[in-house]
Amino acid sequence: MDTSSPSAFVNGALLRRYIGQKVRTVIQVIGSDTGSVVGKSTDDLQIVVRGPSTTPPLTTYLEVIGIAESDNSIRAETWTNFGNTFDPQNYNELCKLASGEFKHLFI
Amino acid sequence: MEVSLTAGAIGKIMSGEVTSEQDMMPVLQVTDLKHVKALQNPTSERFRMVLSDGTHLHQGMLGADLNILVKDGSLQSGSIVRLTQFVGSIVQQRRIVIVMVLEVIKTKSDIIGNPVPIKPSDQRGADSGIKLNTTGSEQQGRGESSGVRQVINTETGRSNAAISPQVVQRQVFGTGSSVPASTPSTRAFNNPSAGHVAPRQDYARMQTGDQWQPPPPLYANRGPVARNEAPPRIIPINGLSPYSGRWTIKARVTNKAELRQYSNPRGQGKVFSFDLLDADGGEIRVTCFNAVADQFYDQIVVGNLYLVSRGSLRPAQKNFNHLPNDYEITLDNASTIQQCYEEDAAIPRHQFHFRTIGDIESMENNSIIDVIGIVSSISTTVAIMKKNGTETQKRSLHLKDMSGRSVEVTMWGNFCNAEGQRLQNLCDSGGFPVLAVKAGRISEFNGKAVSTIGSSQLFIDPDFAEAQKLKDWFEREGKSVPCISISREFSGSARVDVRKTISQIKDEKLGTSEKPDWITVSATVIYMKFDNFCYTACPIMNGDRLCSKKVTSNGDGTWRCEKCDKSVDECDYRYILQLQIQDHTDITWVTAFQEAGEEIMGMSAKDLYHVKYVNEEEEKFESISRKVAFTKYILKLKVKEEAFGDEQRVKATVVKVDKLNYSSDTRSILDAMNKLRNRDAEGSHHSAEVVNTSIGSAGTRDPSSVERRDFGLHAHQSRQHGKYSSGHGPHGGGASSCNVCGNSGHVSANCPSVNDPQGQYRGMSGSYGGGPPRQHVGSY
Repeated sequence: MDTSSPSAFVNGALLRRYIGQKVRTVIQVIGSDTGSVVGKSTDDLQIVVRGPSTTPPLTTYLEVIGIAESDNSIRAETWTNFGNTFDPQNYNELCKLASGEFKHLFI
Repeated sequence: MEVSLTAGAIGKIMSGEVTSEQDMMPVLQVTDLKHVKALQNPTSERFRMVLSDGTHLHQGMLGADLNILVKDGSLQSGSIVRLTQFVGSIVQQRRIVIVMVLEVIKTKSDIIGNPVPIKPSDQRGADSGIKLNTTGSEQQGRGESSGVRQVINTETGRSNAAISPQVVQRQVFGTGSSVPASTPSTRAFNNPSAGHVAPRQDYARMQTGDQWQPPPPLYANRGPVARNEAPPRIIPINGLSPYSGRWTIKARVTNKAELRQYSNPRGQGKVFSFDLLDADGGEIRVTCFNAVADQFYDQIVVGNLYLVSRGSLRPAQKNFNHLPNDYEITLDNASTIQQCYEEDAAIPRHQFHFRTIGDIESMENNSIIDVIGIVSSISTTVAIMKKNGTETQKRSLHLKDMSGRSVEVTMWGNFCNAEGQRLQNLCDSGGFPVLAVKAGRISEFNGKAVSTIGSSQLFIDPDFAEAQKLKDWFEREGKSVPCISISREFSGSARVDVRKTISQIKDEKLGTSEKPDWITVSATVIYMKFDNFCYTACPIMNGDRLCSKKVTSNGDGTWRCEKCDKSVDECDYRYILQLQIQDHTDITWVTAFQEAGEEIMGMSAKDLYHVKYVNEEEEKFESISRKVAFTKYILKLKVKEEAFGDEQRVKATVVKVDKLNYSSDTRSILDAMNKLRNRDAEGSHHSAEVVNTSIGSAGTRDPSSVERRDFGLHAHQSRQHGKYSSGHGPHGGGASSCNVCGNSGHVSANCPSVNDPQGQYRGMSGSYGGGPPRQHVGSY
């Protein structure tokens, strides 16, 4: 597993803390355009993902790994379909724990 | 000559220590002497005197024979006398000293000491017996002593009308407490109309009652006419006992049962009962039979205050009477019930001893409790057939309270329609009503539940403090707090889904108590024993259950079942998997039988058997087994300690296998984390698992357990060889160590580990098939 550039788990609120850094998050897809996807983060904030121009078929949930550009957008390097069933609450908790109490375990 | 009075004599007479001259002949001083007339017989005179012992005063009556002493002046106020024949008797519930013979020691004397009237303490209550007819104050000059005796003996003075007027009796000495009681007493006497003779009545009594008791006016002419009623002492319900003598209680009716007909070997009858609650919180049940029931049934209204007296007390029948009292009252013809029209706020309408739903879990089956909660859901009425063939209604609802638990409450019979319908309406319209249950029984089927019994009462949205508190709690948090139900929906043993880690099995010594422990673990299958993953089972149906006992080969391709005593051509194959499971804390062996086995392996035992032995597709078999390993499941285990030869071993059987639902599992882990955090322990490392659910746990193994595993493998292998040689039926080889469970002292065929989930088997030879399949019937 390539740990050279670890990405921090973020949700909508935490994104701003990592501007310019590599982050990963799961969003619920609301709409997509060519080159960008608008989604809802696990804490119900809007996030825009600018990614590669090809937009493969998207499932409801999408994981995005990339650099945080601003407090509500990410420039994606990779994205992965997470399927249609996903528990956003658990993920949200994870994000909070990973950047708070258990930061030392992740990065 | 200075004479000294017998100190304390008055006190002794009052208390009954001294009742006649046999006990003592006290020297007392007459401090007052009055002439009283009896109305009946205006001609006769009696003298009332006040006797003193220097400290206390008391009333006394002078026997008519002694009147001459007064008349000729030798006995006067201030005289010091010795009572040589007297009686200290209870007259109309007051103790009076009646003097038949006395000796005048000194005629004139100053009042000695500073005597004060002695308090009449408990005379009233003391003795019910004397019911005299106070007819008038005139004393007859009759044989006093005999008269007196007679009075006392003729209890209710019923004797004869003839005597009564004469037995005029010792007056009612007013309020014993005031010396110049003559006025009041004469008043008392002037009860001319007062029950004269025949109607034994004591209106007189009543009136005297007037003088020193607040409630009296109530009784005048009311209630069933009975014997002489002294103004009743109201005692608290909790003070009632069969030895109470005459008692009266003032209480509110909290519950009234219907008038019921019954027939028993003694004949037929009808009965009704009602419950009373008084100001001190004491509760008692009152029962009336037949005629008495008729008499009082209409009188009793729930919520009203009544004064009840003169019933008999007997031990309560705990089967039917769930009130917190050791006794219950039975009323008879002599009992009286009077309604108090004035409200008494001190007596509550109802009394409850609420328990929280969380407590119910730990309470015993069939105990009676009160409970209050918010109705979270209610279902419709269904008709149920009772054991005796009659139909009845049943309706269930769920009650939630602040302990975070919910319980199923079942209503039977009338409750379904009355309260049940009301609750349904309230719930349908979106409300969450508060329901208080009084006298509900805890039953244990599918966890704990509460059901109504004949004497239960349901209160919807009641008006007291607990109800308000509940409503507030519900508004604030209750609505969203997930409540753990202590009642299970599906059938199965009464067990809550207790999540534990494998290390807790050892740490908490699960399974070592009388009953097996049922727990749930989330663990990964690490290893599976490949040999003997199944056994040949009898396929014969025994009733509606498969026999499933191990069958032995007859050699010619048929199989013989010992239990059914039959031979069959085709046998069943049933799983008996020995698995090692592991979670982040520990590793352990468990046994999985047919159903669990199928779930884990993904195919039936028969197919697997074919794959391995018949078709001998080793590769396929291996791939299957590989698939099995390292899959994480939620396993319900039954843990029980069993004896293996000499030692006790804790064995775990897999009762149910569930696929891991990551979402809910994660949530429970989060909960656990929160709890842990709140307890101020260092954060758990569960967070790592949140993401890497499946494989993660195994990966973090520490060396020691790995070793164990290897060792296990090793041992297996060595034994496996030995095993193979004996053919495919699990006959014990020569080895003395059992390769099923790893213990020595027996062989696999005898292995007690291979037994039924109920743990009923102990290593019996060749018998291991019979047990496990019983789980089939879902009896856990």
